[in-house]
Amino acid sequence: MELFRLEHKKLWRKNSTKICVLLCFFYCVIFGSFMIYQWITFGSRNDYVEGRNFDGYENIRKCQAYARKYKELTDESLQQWVRDFQGLKAQLDEERKTQGAEDWETVNKRQGSGLFVINGWISTLYPELEEADMRYVDIMCGYVKPEKLTGLYERREKAVETFLDISGQTGGEKEYLFRINEKVRKPFPWKWIPGWETVLGNLLADLGMVMALFFAIVLSSLFAGEWHDNTSSIILTTKNGWRQLAAAKILTGLSFTLELFAMVAVGMILLQLVFLGTEGWNMPIQMIKMIAIAPMNMLQAEIYEYAFTLLGAVGFAGVVMLFSARCKNQVLALLLSLAVVYGPMAFKEKVPIQLEKAFDLLPLVGSGTDIFRTNTFHIFGRYIWSPYLLIWVPVMIGVLCLPPAVRGWARRMRV
Amino acid sequence: MELSVDRLTKHYGRKIAVDCVSAVLKPGVYGLLGENGAGKTTLMRMLCAILESTSGEVFLDGREVTAMGADYRDLLGYLPQDFGYYPNYTAKEFLLYMAALKGIPRDIAGKRTEELLDVVGLNEAVTKKIKTFSGGMKQRVGIAQALLNHPKLLILDEPTAGLDPKERVRFRNLISDYAKDCIVMLSTHIVSDIEAIADEVLLMRKGKLVAQGSVSELTKKAEGKVWELTVSEAEASRWQEKAAVANLRHEGEKVVLRILADAKPVEEAVPCVATLEDLYLQSFNE
Repeated sequence: MELFRLEHKKLWRKNSTKICVLLCFFYCVIFGSFMIYQWITFGSRNDYVEGRNFDGYENIRKCQAYARKYKELTDESLQQWVRDFQGLKAQLDEERKTQGAEDWETVNKRQGSGLFVINGWISTLYPELEEADMRYVDIMCGYVKPEKLTGLYERREKAVETFLDISGQTGGEKEYLFRINEKVRKPFPWKWIPGWETVLGNLLADLGMVMALFFAIVLSSLFAGEWHDNTSSIILTTKNGWRQLAAAKILTGLSFTLELFAMVAVGMILLQLVFLGTEGWNMPIQMIKMIAIAPMNMLQAEIYEYAFTLLGAVGFAGVVMLFSARCKNQVLALLLSLAVVYGPMAFKEKVPIQLEKAFDLLPLVGSGTDIFRTNTFHIFGRYIWSPYLLIWVPVMIGVLCLPPAVRGWARRMRV
Repeated sequence: MELSVDRLTKHYGRKIAVDCVSAVLKPGVYGLLGENGAGKTTLMRMLCAILESTSGEVFLDGREVTAMGADYRDLLGYLPQDFGYYPNYTAKEFLLYMAALKGIPRDIAGKRTEELLDVVGLNEAVTKKIKTFSGGMKQRVGIAQALLNHPKLLILDEPTAGLDPKERVRFRNLISDYAKDCIVMLSTHIVSDIEAIADEVLLMRKGKLVAQGSVSELTKKAEGKVWELTVSEAEASRWQEKAAVANLRHEGEKVVLRILADAKPVEEAVPCVATLEDLYLQSFNE
């Protein structure tokens, strides 16, 4: 334990570690969360052309208050929302005698910024109501007749089925996905959605990709740095030698991974609580993407996405430590570590679908947002919904990297 | 305690770094002398069991050292020639880290660290980072780390490199005190250091152990082969070309040469007392 304590202290003493932690925290928590809530995404807009105001906190409160009036998603509440929208739009047109994109934005603002989510539901569930000759500024919420928006949940089932057919997911795979979908509870509670959409679809989706850079920089020097410091000879002649030092370094690497993740996650969750509160935690994720099949609410989805990033980070730490233990050059270890994440990310859309799915299983390469998708893996004759594998395989890869890392390190020990 | 080296050999491809070296070391100070590339560092690394030998073995009290593993390392203190350190650590932090690697409990490590910092004269620089140290100070940190675990076998590869004369004297005294009941092997190019503290000298040349014995035993070999000759400056240059000149000093307009030769080089030459340095130079002039 003493060796672990000192090794851990040694890692944190490095300037590169301190700088990486600071940058990671700043990027993910200050820029990636605070600024998103207060300004970039949720700041109010005076008009469509100008930038946003630095008033996200107050703006979110107003939006949440507006959304509370619909309570749950039914045919009636959806019709009411569209009616309200069209009423506000008509009122605005009357005031300004104009029609254009800035009007949608103004109405959207007055109505709590849910326009694009709800327009997405309508275009997905009622495609026959779409008018092909409308201008690009005319969105469906503006012209559909509210009374035609009926049979919402039946249409959702149909839309899921159509989507699976279009995706070529038929037979056993379709049945398997439908069985998952059957567990989705209806009717859906309805609160303010854009906040959760941003958290689950943007903030957490990119977290692992950003953190991978900092994990790679810090952890690639963990073993390889000893060669750089030229300490191998004296370490090699100590009683504890490489083997126990390797164990201490592995623990340090894992511990650092958890600590950096915890710092970022706690920061992000606290900001989320401050800006969004807990309202809407029990909404199903279908409120964000209507044809998602996962029977998850927002809170469960958020837990999944954090767990996905954490386990991916642990898996990635294992991979980086393997490179660090096997390469004497820490720059090479760093480049290999970065290549493992960013290489597949860069090329995965240019490779066959099976290879793309395999790439997704690499630590921090896939995405926690697969809970919104219907991807499956076909293994030993069984279908497995991708989020189940995406959460466990990366961490297993990392764990499997640890014995060869220790062996590679210990091999240098002659005694 | 007895360390036996049995026909220890190391090849790097076709190059023979250490060639069938055998020796038996008992408690005391052993000075390893040899020119650059003689195989001193390779031999020391094999004694520390961090370099695999091509053939031959090392035994400590009859037990083969590679088989002893951690038990052997527990008895070992080593200062490598190219001593590495963590630049952002203070001397104290570095020693505490090394103590943990050596399996020394935390409370004992703290006391031992303070004690050693005092012994090597670094107690006033405990809060400074090693990267700010002079070469000599870094070397003293290296010596201190080698002594942390009270090693029974202390191997020091060029420990006096970078030390000023005062520190070299301090180091010699430290090692003399330390070597009462343990084996200390040190290599250096500074022959006077070995002369001052080594109980026995091992002379290496081209990977082979060419001589072994106490300083007096070895210098006896050079007796009758060291001459002093006083000549003019012009003659001094000619002597340097035709004979092995160990030393040259000016006395007024004359030059006093110290010449190594099996027989009296000229009638005017006078025999003088041989030193270890004479033997060293003689060995490498052959």
